[in-house]
Amino acid sequence: MAETAVLTLDHVSKHYDDVLAVNALSFEIIEGQCFGLLGPNGAGKTTTLEMIEGMTPPTSGEIRYRGGPVPANYQDRIGIQFQATALQDFLTPYDNLKLFSAFYDRPLPMQTLIDAFQLQEFLHRDTRRLSGGQRQRLLLALALVHDPEIVFLDEPTTGLDPRSRRDVWEVVRRLKAEGRTLVLTTHYMEEAEVLCDDLIILSHGSIIRHGSPKALLAEAGVDTLDELFLSLTGERLDAAEATA
Amino acid sequence: MMVARSVKRIWAVFKARNLEYLRDRASFGWNLIFPVLIVLALAVVFSGPPQGIFSITYLGTEEARPALLAFPGIETVETTDESRALDRLARQQTDMVITVTDGAVRYWVNGYSAAGALTEQLLKFSESRPLISGRTEGDGIRYIDWVIPGILGMNMMYSALWGVGYVVVRYRQAGYLKRLKATPLTKFEFLSAQVMSRVMVTLSASTIVFVGTNLLLEYKMVGSVWLLLLIALIGALSMITMGLAIASRTESKEFADGLLNALTFPMLLLSEVWFSLEGSPEWVQWIAMTLPLTHMLDAARAVMLDDAGLWEIAPHLGVLLIFCGVGMAISTRLFKW
Ligand SMILES: Nc1ncnc2c1ncn2[C@@H]1O[C@H](COP(=O)(O)OP(=O)(O)O)[C@@H](O)[C@H]1O
Ligand SMILES: [Mg+2]
Repeated sequence: MAETAVLTLDHVSKHYDDVLAVNALSFEIIEGQCFGLLGPNGAGKTTTLEMIEGMTPPTSGEIRYRGGPVPANYQDRIGIQFQATALQDFLTPYDNLKLFSAFYDRPLPMQTLIDAFQLQEFLHRDTRRLSGGQRQRLLLALALVHDPEIVFLDEPTTGLDPRSRRDVWEVVRRLKAEGRTLVLTTHYMEEAEVLCDDLIILSHGSIIRHGSPKALLAEAGVDTLDELFLSLTGERLDAAEATA
Repeated sequence: MMVARSVKRIWAVFKARNLEYLRDRASFGWNLIFPVLIVLALAVVFSGPPQGIFSITYLGTEEARPALLAFPGIETVETTDESRALDRLARQQTDMVITVTDGAVRYWVNGYSAAGALTEQLLKFSESRPLISGRTEGDGIRYIDWVIPGILGMNMMYSALWGVGYVVVRYRQAGYLKRLKATPLTKFEFLSAQVMSRVMVTLSASTIVFVGTNLLLEYKMVGSVWLLLLIALIGALSMITMGLAIASRTESKEFADGLLNALTFPMLLLSEVWFSLEGSPEWVQWIAMTLPLTHMLDAARAVMLDDAGLWEIAPHLGVLLIFCGVGMAISTRLFKW
C-alpha cells in the first residue's frame, strides 16, 4: 500500500523574541498513522503541534497539506484537543456537545459521541465537577464532533490515573482503526511505544531521533525509549514532570 | 447559506452564554437584588418627616427685602435666574419665588403645594406693600424620583461592562477562546452573540427591577415607556461595546478589572447617578458630557420626570450611538482570540 503524506513540514521554525522554541523541523505525517512528538517539558512539542494545527504561524519554513497549501476549510478537517482547555462555567457535557455541534455543517449524531466516549453517566453534570479522566473524554468528544480526518492530541494523558490513561489509549486505537490520522504529544515513553507508528524525539526544539519505536530501539540497542533518551541527552524524559 | 450558517452559530453561542448566566445563581440574583436593595434603603432614608422649614427663592433687587425672609424657619435661596427659579418651584424644590419691583411684591407659589399655600398666608400677614401673585403648577419631584434612573443606569453600566468585558477576558485567560478559535466560529459571530446575550440580560434585569421598585414605591414616571426602553437599549449597547473594546486584547483578568474600574469610577462620580452637577465648575460638566452614562441618565430623567419626546432626547441618543459605533469598530478590529 502506498503511503500518502497528509502533512509535510519543511524546515519549520518558531522564535519567541530571543527564544528559539522550534528549530527547523522537517518530517512527514502519513495518512492513517499515529504520529508522536516525544520530549520533556519545554522541548517544543506544543509549539510544533500548534503550528501544524494552524493555530500559530511558523516564523519560517513551510507546512503543506497533501502536498499543497493548507486549504481554507482546514479547520473543518482537523479536530484538536489542547493541552489545557477551559470550557464555559455552568455548562454540562451535553450543553457543550450541542454548542460545538452547532459550529459545523455535518456534526456526528450526539448519541454516537456520548456512547463512543462514555459520557452518559455525567452528561448533565457541571463540567467543573468532572474528574480528570471524564473531562478528558469530553474534550476528546468535542474534538471529534465534526468527524475530522486528522486529530491532534496534546498530552492527552498527562495527569491522569493509570486507568483513565488506558481508556484514552483505547480511544486513540479506535480512532486509528476508523482510518483517522493522529498526531499526539507525550512525555511518557511507554505511551509513545504503545501508540505511535512513527515518532520524533524533540529536545530543545530540535529533532534528535526520528523513526518507528521499534527501529529506534533496535538502532540504539536498548529496551525502552526512556533508556534511549537518557543515552542521548543524559536527561530523563519525565524528570520535568516530577517537579511540575 | 453562509448567513444561515452564521445565524446558527451565533444562536448557539448566545444560548450557551445565557445558560451560563442563568445558572450562575449568585451573580444572577445579585444583579436583580442589589438595585432593589439600594432603592429600598433610599426609600427608608428619605421617607422621614418633613423638616418644617419653608424654602423661599428670592430674586434680589435694590428694593427692601420682604420681612418674611427674616422669619425663623424660613430658608432663603438668592438667585437672579428667574426661569430656573420657576422651574424649581414647579418641581416643588422651593416653596415660593419672590421679588420686589416698583414698590410691589411679586410672588409665585405652586398650586399643588401645601407648603406654598402656608408661605403665601405668612406673606400676606407680614407684608404691607401691594402683592402681585403668580401661580405655577407641577408635582414635586422627590429625591427618590430623581435618583431611581441613576440607580438603574448604574446597575446597567456594571452589568454591561463587566458582563462582557470581564467575562471575555476570563474566557481568554482560561484558554476557552483558543478552543473556539479552532472551530469555524468567526470573531464576528462570537462577538455578536456576546453582545446580544448581554443586551437581553441587562434589559430584562432592568425591566424587572424597574417594575418591581415602581410597584413598591410608585416613583414618578410620566413619559413614554417605549422611549425609556429605547434609551435603555442604546445605552446598554454603548456600554457593552465599550466593554468589548476593553476585552479585545487584554490577557489578564486583573488588568481588565483595573481598566473597567478606571472607566466606571468617573461615571459613578460625574454622570449624576447620585447627585446633580448643577452649579459645579464648567470643566466638570464638560468631562461629564464625554461619558455615556451621563447621556443615558439625562435622557432617562427627561422622559421619566418631564415627559420629553424623541426629538428632545435625540442629541443624547446620537452621542450614545457614536459610542456604540466606536466601541464596535475598536473591538472588531482589535479583537484577538
Ligand atoms: N507564547 C510563548 N511565548 C514565549 N515563549 C514561549 C511561548 N510558548 C512557548 N514558549 C517557549 O517555547 C519553548 C517550547 O515550549 P512548548 O512548545 O510549550 O514545549 P512543550 O509543549 O514541549 O512542553 C519553551 O521554552 C517555552 O517556554
Ligand atoms: Mg506542551
